[in-house]
Amino acid sequence: MRSHAATMIGAATLNIGLFMTSAAVAQQPVCEPDKIAQKYPGLAGRTIKIGVDPQTPPYVMRDAADFTKVIGVDADLARAVFTCAGVKHEFFLGGWSGLLPAVMSGQIDVMWDNLYYKPERAKSVDLILYMKAGTGALVPAGNPQNITKKDDLCGRTVSYGVGSVEDVTMKEQDKVCRAGGLPGVNVMPFQDLASGLRLLDNSRTDVLLWDLGFVDATASSNPKKYARGFATYSGLIIAAAVKKGDSDLAAVIHDGLAILQSKGEQKAIFQKYGVDPGLEVSTQVKTN
Amino acid sequence: MLQKNYLASLLTMVLAFPLVFTTSTQADNLAPGDKGETHWAREFLSYVTSGFLWEGALIAVEITAIAMAAGLALGLGLALMRLSSFRVVRASAWFYIWIMRGTPQLLQLVFIFDALPFIGLKFSSFTTAVIGFALNQAAFSAEIIRGGILSVNKNQAVAATSLGMSPFLTLRRIVLPQAMRAILPGIGNDTISMLKLTSIASIIFVNELTFRAQQIVGQNFRFFVVFAAAGLIYLLLTSVISLIQAWAEARFDLERDRTAPDPLRRMFGFSLKRTETPGVTALVTGKAPPRSSTPLAIAGGKDASSRGTLAEVLGRAPSDGARSSEPLIVCRNVHKQYGAQKVLCGIDLTVKRGEVVVLLGPSGSGKSTFLRTINHLDTIDWGEITVAGQHIGYQRIPGGQLKPTGGLAQARAAARISMVFQHFNLFNHMTALENVIEAPIRVFKMDPVEARQLGLRLLDEVGLQNHVNHLPHRLSGGQQQRVAIARALAISPRVMLFDEPTSALDPELVGEVLAVMRKLADAGMTMVVVTHEIRFAREVADRVVFMDGGLVVEAGTPAEVLDNPQHERTRRFLRIMECEPVAAAESSAA
Repeated sequence: MRSHAATMIGAATLNIGLFMTSAAVAQQPVCEPDKIAQKYPGLAGRTIKIGVDPQTPPYVMRDAADFTKVIGVDADLARAVFTCAGVKHEFFLGGWSGLLPAVMSGQIDVMWDNLYYKPERAKSVDLILYMKAGTGALVPAGNPQNITKKDDLCGRTVSYGVGSVEDVTMKEQDKVCRAGGLPGVNVMPFQDLASGLRLLDNSRTDVLLWDLGFVDATASSNPKKYARGFATYSGLIIAAAVKKGDSDLAAVIHDGLAILQSKGEQKAIFQKYGVDPGLEVSTQVKTN
Repeated sequence: MLQKNYLASLLTMVLAFPLVFTTSTQADNLAPGDKGETHWAREFLSYVTSGFLWEGALIAVEITAIAMAAGLALGLGLALMRLSSFRVVRASAWFYIWIMRGTPQLLQLVFIFDALPFIGLKFSSFTTAVIGFALNQAAFSAEIIRGGILSVNKNQAVAATSLGMSPFLTLRRIVLPQAMRAILPGIGNDTISMLKLTSIASIIFVNELTFRAQQIVGQNFRFFVVFAAAGLIYLLLTSVISLIQAWAEARFDLERDRTAPDPLRRMFGFSLKRTETPGVTALVTGKAPPRSSTPLAIAGGKDASSRGTLAEVLGRAPSDGARSSEPLIVCRNVHKQYGAQKVLCGIDLTVKRGEVVVLLGPSGSGKSTFLRTINHLDTIDWGEITVAGQHIGYQRIPGGQLKPTGGLAQARAAARISMVFQHFNLFNHMTALENVIEAPIRVFKMDPVEARQLGLRLLDEVGLQNHVNHLPHRLSGGQQQRVAIARALAISPRVMLFDEPTSALDPELVGEVLAVMRKLADAGMTMVVVTHEIRFAREVADRVVFMDGGLVVEAGTPAEVLDNPQHERTRRFLRIMECEPVAAAESSAA
């Protein structure tokens, strides 16, 4: 696993070199906070504004012990990356859907909060990949309906976010069920995660389909209440997004992630929040 | 089971909250985890008193306060634009309101925050929220304010205008204070809505109350306690807004007790020291309260004292340097039409100083319109009118024609023509005294204490010394008209115009008004009176002018026109008037 990651880092560095002319990227990735001016001249003196939505656990959330702090997989990664490079940074907290437009307009420098890489998205922003995305099925503790795979959803009530990947998947699953002579899937889409969780708490739904990282984190922190029924991998990759052409910033994030991955610190952060360490992918910058 | 527990907790919490709040100590743990160990009431309290949530509430309050203030100011401007007589101005305001009301506020905020940076305008989150909410509120308050302004009778502004008040002064002192009663409930609604709606600004990184509550929930999933606590904080804040609204509405309530000390305090902080009512012999009632030492009063009887005050008023009228034998008002070939309808078809008339001219004529003969052209409440299409040798708000352009100029209000004030209206048009939100002294203080910059003394003496003159602190709606029609006369006198007019001053009165009240007018005539006031009171015309007028169809049919002394009319139209009119019951009532009162 470790050696696989190292290969990927090499590939990613090569990839970066293809689109960036900065000599800095060619250097060995080690934390050198004192050398920011030489390594990333474009960032010297800049304070990077990290845009996050602190209601997207386990990626970004408030610290229960100290509400002035934001923690989570993405928050911790971002903090570690910028500290490693010696870049001044601060978190900007806003609604998730406002984050990407703010990157494009320059109101913030990076959106780092459970954002999927998609080719059409890469037309507007540059993306630094670091984590596999998946769908988790959150069920009540003990999994009373014994839901362990997609086909078990036939005849069950299933909730997911309006307009999400799961929306499409469930429409297909409904057809599969009916084609097999089984009852279809009763769907109950919700507007926000909190209301989705209430559906599960109130037994209005049997399964909640949401981001795998969230499902794992929630199940592991509330084992008496929830469990993971099953997981599917969509093939989507989670990434941090920077404004198009902000190559020094993309390089800092990429290099920082590469260092964290090489030291196993990214996996440690995943584990800290109950996220499967296997979701890590070698970091890579995508500009298209 | 879990759900039942939550519901039971929520219900108990709402019912028992006051008790809990007063007996519990503040919880130390501001962020209880999802351990189920903390008692729900303690947990709820910890959130209600959470500095983290209250900081968010403070941000919401700050945005609301600033955006509301700015929105109201902009809204007033837009409302006035919507009421403008210029089509382009009206259309621009309409367009703005159409856009702002018709598009989601969320998109407006995102636009300001994320699109404007592309043209070099980069605002912070807080500034964006303030700008966004203010611009949006401007559109909504414009319509609320416009509704309020439209709810105020137009005659209020006409009366203010006739006293020389500028449009701005009229708006500030007369129209808006009365419009407030209609405006305030809507503004209260909008303020409360805005406070709660600031939560949508989380999309542009504003960390206010709802967003913070969601963050706590996102971290520990304690929906009910956290949202209930946020709800209570909102309720406390909106209660404060409701209280402010109630206070503001009480401030503009016309039913309020007006005899409280310092009755002017309510009027935008304007305040006068209360002084003793100077006793001046009542002109009409004949009651004689003990006289105080007023410098202008002449001791020794009611005629002498009334001459004292009236002489003071007449003496204050500006001297124009012209010889007193020259006519004060000169009207030459005055034409006026509304659309295709001709109202005045070439009026020629002169009024000498101290003369009382009565205009008679059937309805629609153009008398009132003509009267309103003398002080330029109505424009003339052709001809000219001068008062003391001056055009009021007109200037002569090459070719000899007249054209309206700017500064009409100043010209009207300088001309000192006051007017008494058929429907009194007293300022409804002001007491009798305030009505009288408004123009002297605001337009003619008279010392407030002096104005107050003059106002009290004038109200005394018209027999209303016991009603100085009463609002118009507490007075009878006759009393209101006498206040209106005192108000018209207070600006020390050169000439007074009376537009059917007794037509809206019950017959038994006509006499008291005519008696006051008679005294004015005796004191030497120049008066032009449109009336149907034939007897008054006969006894008081120096000249009677009969108008019909926008023309002067005949004019002369009362004996000539009333007793020996030359024209058939005049004769016919007089025959009809003699059958009117008003004449009988007037004769009994006089």
